[in-house]
Amino acid sequence: MWALAAAGGSRGDAEPGRPHSRPRHPGTRTMLPLLLPLLATAHGLVRLAYAPTLAEETLGGLTTTSTFTLEQPRCVFTEVRDDAIIWLVVAVPEAVPSFNDSVEPGTPERAFQRFPAGAPAYMTLNTTLPNYPCPKPTGEITVLRVGSETACAGSETRPTCNGPLPGPGPYRVKFLVLEGSEPVAETTWSKPITLRTARQPGSIPAAGSGRSAAMIALTAILSILFAVLLAGLVAMLVFWGSDAYGGSSTFSKPEAVTVQRYNTHHVYDQPAARL
Amino acid sequence: MERAATHLPKDQCFFPSVCLCLRTSQKNWCTRSLMTPCSSCCCRLHEELKMAKSGDGIHILQGLLVFGNVVIGMCGIALTAECIFFVSDPHGLYPLLEATENDDIYAAAWIGIFVGFALFALSILGIIGVIKSKRTLLLVYIILMLITYAFEMASCITAATHRDFLTPNLFLKQMLEMYRKSEPINNNDKWMTEGVTKTWDKLMLENQCCGVQGPTDWQEYMSAFRTTHSDADFPWPHNCCVMDAQGSPVNLDGCKLGVPGYYNSNGCYDAISGPMNTHAWGVAWFGFAILCWTFCVLLGTMFYWSRIEY
Repeated sequence: MWALAAAGGSRGDAEPGRPHSRPRHPGTRTMLPLLLPLLATAHGLVRLAYAPTLAEETLGGLTTTSTFTLEQPRCVFTEVRDDAIIWLVVAVPEAVPSFNDSVEPGTPERAFQRFPAGAPAYMTLNTTLPNYPCPKPTGEITVLRVGSETACAGSETRPTCNGPLPGPGPYRVKFLVLEGSEPVAETTWSKPITLRTARQPGSIPAAGSGRSAAMIALTAILSILFAVLLAGLVAMLVFWGSDAYGGSSTFSKPEAVTVQRYNTHHVYDQPAARL
Repeated sequence: MERAATHLPKDQCFFPSVCLCLRTSQKNWCTRSLMTPCSSCCCRLHEELKMAKSGDGIHILQGLLVFGNVVIGMCGIALTAECIFFVSDPHGLYPLLEATENDDIYAAAWIGIFVGFALFALSILGIIGVIKSKRTLLLVYIILMLITYAFEMASCITAATHRDFLTPNLFLKQMLEMYRKSEPINNNDKWMTEGVTKTWDKLMLENQCCGVQGPTDWQEYMSAFRTTHSDADFPWPHNCCVMDAQGSPVNLDGCKLGVPGYYNSNGCYDAISGPMNTHAWGVAWFGFAILCWTFCVLLGTMFYWSRIEY
């Protein structure tokens, strides 16, 4: 089985009175050496080295003409609270250098319906960390399909819609973690992802009418045989005609032949050539 | 009043071309007339010659011709049966051909049905003609056989030629342009579109295949299907998904993602071209074999015809 991330809710897990504290996680001890530099940037943005990637190649629908499939960010957000919301940001490559992390999702500047002309980037697929459990179970396919929601693609009331992408791209994505409206962590931007382009069926080369050797051989041989048979038929008819003609001539002038020959006395003198 | 005939000794007779032997139908019997005093020996000579001609050689030739005609008769029946099988379209692929407007391999099969019957009937005529040694009967047989030969030749050449037209690109283009086309131009277009759609749905379900070369056909090209079904919901038709017993996809999300095992990743071209190749080659090459045999039998019959007495 696999897990597809859908829009999920957040769970409140902060300790009362200490909104920025986070509960102890089992992996915290190994992370202790890293805490010191991180404490210095406690209220800043954590930049993770992870870059979102496309899922594995064996999927037939990895990229289509309006969707693409990312690998889920499992075991990436280790320092993030359970109630923080992890957003997926999809942007055109030109918007990457000037991207402002503080713009709230759901505003017109980040609305899917205005992408890419009115909004160079949009945010979608919001969920919380418990939906990306670590470690990833073996044998499961954990993917995020970007562009799978078609129902809300046109409605302005759902600016965080995971709608189908409008063109072949390229697009760059990253994950952004917000606590409230404060960005706390982000991944690096992915490589540009280009979707498929569909060609017109008219561009398919017209069905080649190549003649196969077998067909040519068959036609040639049959034609020759038929010609021979026709020649035979003609020969037959000519033979019949000449035979009948010869017979009738013999028929028609019996007197001329036999009267001349009727001479019993000179039987032996008659030349055999007359025969 | 007849003059008394003089009977000469045999070695003093003339050859039959000088004497006159009157013929009545097939029987060679001579009449004596005033002009032919050697009539009796002339006829005897003629009889001897005739005996030499209708010796063992002729009997063997007769036997061979009868055997040849029996084989032609049986092959004629086999050809009729084979062509009826093809015309009945057991794989249901005829709508695809009809839509290409290039269904001449079916025309070849139809001709084959009638040629088969004709061959059977003519072989019986041939057997009778050979046994009875009648010239007119054999001439009729030869002429009718040549006409049948010409038709069968046309059928073979048509089947072989039009088989060459049936390439993967032809079916790909047709599938993309007609499968689930929503706005047909006229009634004919509507009929062909519905035929293509039904055939493809059946093909994809029964053969567990998708597209002509694979599901990527639906991604690489625009299609009539794509105009009414969005790419996000239908990267390929749902008939490409692995179905359960009730006929619905086992896992629609898996099918849309293209997870191996939940969608059919192979193409349908083999399922189409296999039966069509069998059809076309069956008509063309079996017909060719029959014609080669018929050629030999006809030549033998022509030779036999020239040897029998009239």
